[in-house]
Amino acid sequence: MKATKMGFGLLLVMVLIALSACGSGSNGSAAPGGESSAAATGSGETEAPYELNVAFPIFGAVPSGISEVEKAISDLAKEKINVTVKLTPISIGAWTQQSNLMLTSGEKLDLLYVSGTAFTGLVSKGQLLELDSLLNDHGQGIREAFDPQFLKATQVDGKTYAVPSKREMAVDYGLSILKRYTDKYGIDPNSIRTLEDLDGLFETIKDGEPNLPAVLVPQSAGISFVDSFRWFDPLGDSIGVLPDFNGGLTVTNLYETPEYAEFVKKIREWYQAGYVMKDSATNKDNGNELIKAGKGVARLSNLKPGYERQASIEYGEEATVISLTPAYATTSTVAGVNWGIPHNAKNPEKSMQFLNLMYTDRDIVNLFDWGIEGRDYVKKSDPIIGYPEGVDATNVAYNLNLGWMFGNQMLSYIMEGEDPELWQKMEEYNANSVKSPALGFSFDAAPVKTEYAAVTNVINQYKLPIETGSVDPDKMLPEFIAKLKSSGIDKIIAEKQKQLDEWKKNN
Amino acid sequence: MQKPTAPKRWLTMKTYAPLYLLTLPGLLYLLINNYMPMFGLVIAFKDVNFSKGILGSDWVGFKNFEYLFKSSDAILITRNTLLYNAVFIVLNLIVAVGVAILLNEIRNKLLARFYQSVVLLPYLISMVIVSYLGYALLSMDTGFLNKTILPALGMEEIAWYNEPKYWPYILTLVHTWKGAGFLCVVYLAAIIGIDQEYYEAATLDGASKWQQIRSITLPLITPVIIMMTLLAIGRIFYSDFGLFYQVPMDSGSLFNVTNVIDTYVYRGLMQLGDIGMSSAAGMYQSLVGFVLVLLSNYVVRKINRENALF
Amino acid sequence: MNRNIESRAWQWAGHSILLVYAAACVLPFLLLLTSSVTDESTIIKNGYSFFPEKFSLEAYRYLWNESTDILRAYGITVFVTVVGTTLSLAITSMLAYPISRRDLPYRNPLAFYVFFTMLFNGGLVPTYFVFTQVFDMKNSLAALLIPALLMNGFNVLLMRTFFMTTIPPAVLESAKMDGAGEIRIFYSIVLPLSTPIMATIGLFQAIAYWNDWFNGLIYITDPKLFSLQNILNRIMSDIQFLSTNAAMSARASESMMTLPSASFRMAIVVVGVIPILLAYPFFQKYFVKGITIGAVKG
Repeated sequence: MKATKMGFGLLLVMVLIALSACGSGSNGSAAPGGESSAAATGSGETEAPYELNVAFPIFGAVPSGISEVEKAISDLAKEKINVTVKLTPISIGAWTQQSNLMLTSGEKLDLLYVSGTAFTGLVSKGQLLELDSLLNDHGQGIREAFDPQFLKATQVDGKTYAVPSKREMAVDYGLSILKRYTDKYGIDPNSIRTLEDLDGLFETIKDGEPNLPAVLVPQSAGISFVDSFRWFDPLGDSIGVLPDFNGGLTVTNLYETPEYAEFVKKIREWYQAGYVMKDSATNKDNGNELIKAGKGVARLSNLKPGYERQASIEYGEEATVISLTPAYATTSTVAGVNWGIPHNAKNPEKSMQFLNLMYTDRDIVNLFDWGIEGRDYVKKSDPIIGYPEGVDATNVAYNLNLGWMFGNQMLSYIMEGEDPELWQKMEEYNANSVKSPALGFSFDAAPVKTEYAAVTNVINQYKLPIETGSVDPDKMLPEFIAKLKSSGIDKIIAEKQKQLDEWKKNN
Repeated sequence: MQKPTAPKRWLTMKTYAPLYLLTLPGLLYLLINNYMPMFGLVIAFKDVNFSKGILGSDWVGFKNFEYLFKSSDAILITRNTLLYNAVFIVLNLIVAVGVAILLNEIRNKLLARFYQSVVLLPYLISMVIVSYLGYALLSMDTGFLNKTILPALGMEEIAWYNEPKYWPYILTLVHTWKGAGFLCVVYLAAIIGIDQEYYEAATLDGASKWQQIRSITLPLITPVIIMMTLLAIGRIFYSDFGLFYQVPMDSGSLFNVTNVIDTYVYRGLMQLGDIGMSSAAGMYQSLVGFVLVLLSNYVVRKINRENALF
Repeated sequence: MNRNIESRAWQWAGHSILLVYAAACVLPFLLLLTSSVTDESTIIKNGYSFFPEKFSLEAYRYLWNESTDILRAYGITVFVTVVGTTLSLAITSMLAYPISRRDLPYRNPLAFYVFFTMLFNGGLVPTYFVFTQVFDMKNSLAALLIPALLMNGFNVLLMRTFFMTTIPPAVLESAKMDGAGEIRIFYSIVLPLSTPIMATIGLFQAIAYWNDWFNGLIYITDPKLFSLQNILNRIMSDIQFLSTNAAMSARASESMMTLPSASFRMAIVVVGVIPILLAYPFFQKYFVKGITIGAVKG
């Protein structure tokens, strides 16, 4: 073993050199020269353009054609507001980890996607900038795009910290089922209005199909049937909810309500009758996978305009969608997908100006949504587009397809095959939705974080078994409720009520 | 060794200078990689607000630790963590040493190499995959046990993911299957390092294989065994997250026997994302392990100073 | 004769126990292999099986297409593994040997310095801060080599114990009497005597570097520097995230082609593990009943 010390030493020196060489090339184009003063409005052609680092999650690999899109967006932005744009797409599985690290270490970051669940946490840790004055000065387009009630959803203590993307702002729940079964048994979708009506439907199918393991499958992994059928306003986390949409503002323990007990009893009946997939509590697969593999033919899920077409694509065959609840707008549905400006942004005015473009400028929105005209899509008849010759959904160079994320989706083109009136329908859907009296309220769990951790653990323990019908609710529900109480759920609910009352006073 | 006088000490240092030099890169690395980030330990005692920066945030004393002790589950998770780890340490030790000894005895070189490689295979497979394999065995609908083995034995189907009583055994089995191979490699290297002359002399004296193992092999690898055990004791409040979260498929019905400190912290903080609380949990686990190691190391020192960690 | 029967008994016992153990280790792996070439729907319908109803190479095809530069990733991984393991062995042994010498003053405090790092950890955020803000290493090869993996207390202490038990002080004495300097003793006597432990730690480090996706996850966003496991893991956690996040996946399914998730996860493992298996023989060469004092004496 003559791997001598000389050899080791040499290697060490080599690497140290490589280290110092590599290290300097890291943060891309750190543009210190772009830091303009507060006089950033209007034409700043005399200054060097400021580079914005825009971070967002993606599902799947980074599209091969993204660099041209980035350049096109950047050029447009330079022309209009004198900024260049750097896109930082991050795989969704790594999103929470990486975005958190970028925020906490003070890295250069100018515009950030913020998910509904992360929002209040980021605000309480001081990681997002307050946006109200910025919105007034540079974000008028954003204000105009929204029903003002919706903009309240991203406020904390009356101050705005993020802006939702404009898409479907409400949600209704219902059943999506493979069309050939409703056809086969002559079931008229309009005859099904409530959960009880489903009894007959399931029975018919189960009796007629002895080889089918189950009729109903979960919407996805870790999701229970209550999650797919919310008759209440979860107030962010379902720990203390508004039990209905009749205008009341009393925060109640969901798990103690009679409606909850009824619902889980019904699911249990379905489970025992064989309508529900047996492994639902531990299911780790996506609902459409389950249906495609023949483990069931229907699922409960959250709906929106255009869902039928989407479900049909997912199942690989035609689906019928039956809505069972009205459309509800809550803070969670409105503020599910948002954009914020991180506290470490060096030029928030420019960040806001660019954000404004994402809500008002059709060209920029469509660059984000569809890519480069000619290469990734061709215009058919405004707003319809199609794929160019030889290109389809599987080989298009820019296939992000995240229209619901980037600003104002209503400005986006519509791919042929979709309903050309989709955006009109969506505007109507949003406008006609039942708005929760707590729309705009976000709960800050910090004052009760000790109880919160304990209660979350209890919920994790009982929720899936009870809400998928896998265990007997007569026995388990009282146990569940008792354990919640001993873990301090009442304290959390009291705190939530207190915060809600405070909020209501100012809203 | 008496304390040398000043000039003598200088001489001593000078003699050992090359050795100290050798240690520099390693010590430097530990300084950068481990000691510098330790300023973060204060996070456990703060309510971090990034607009104030980590160092500027408020002190909250022990508030971040409360959730670990106040809930009704606190005793349960502590009990689970300790019991499982105690069993794991002992069982893995016995299996790993046993297999290592056997491996050393095998005369067929080819087979020996085969066994050696194969034994490490489970170590390379991540726990997530192991949980899928487990699911292949234990699933209610399609699992190998429920569909093939149990009917063959004339037994009823079992809802594995709903019945807590089997899981202590299942988890122990999986843990040993996965971890013993790794330990085995370590012990095997130790056994190989033993001077052949001892064995030759013993055989000449007429000792049986079994006697040889008991009086040569085991005693000579005892330092390694002690070291590994002390290190394991240091981590006694930590658990393999994958084992207790993924393998039981995060099934709520099993929590009473599968919830350990690490999984409890993870589940509790998923919504909160409170960096102070998770840091507090880490500190709690480290401190307990640290105290226990100090104690055990002290005991080992009393018995045989050589074998102690420090 | 007694001896012969006894030794035969040992061989039999040894082989039978080891065969069972080996089977327990290999069978699950075979299951992985067959699952990776099983058709997706069959898996969901029937679960994993050694004899799948329907075959499909979809998972591997997807992998090949999705990874924009899988060959490049392989290259990065190999480089990092080889360089990392070599450096690691160097630094670890250089630290472990001196503190294994019973005559070194302050060896115990030094050992404690090492050991302490195994118990107390500042956490991810401060570590990230040190490596990106103090030492600008984001998106560099150094970030794949240095953080966490280059050396750890466990390896150091393990090596130290080995040095203490297998290097007889007599050998060192005689070398010193011959006039050899400490450093020379280190690399011409100590290291050759330690091939088993070097092979062991080398193997562990190689596995650690090869399998690492974590450093890549937090320090690398430039796809040109993605290691193999990094890519595989990103795809896998994307799948997992989407499976558990209904609201997201309802939206995201518009943007994703059919992901053969069940068989895909298996394929990921197979692709990642095979190279390590191929590397085993290289390390096994050194698992030789070591050079003994007898050989060095005289």
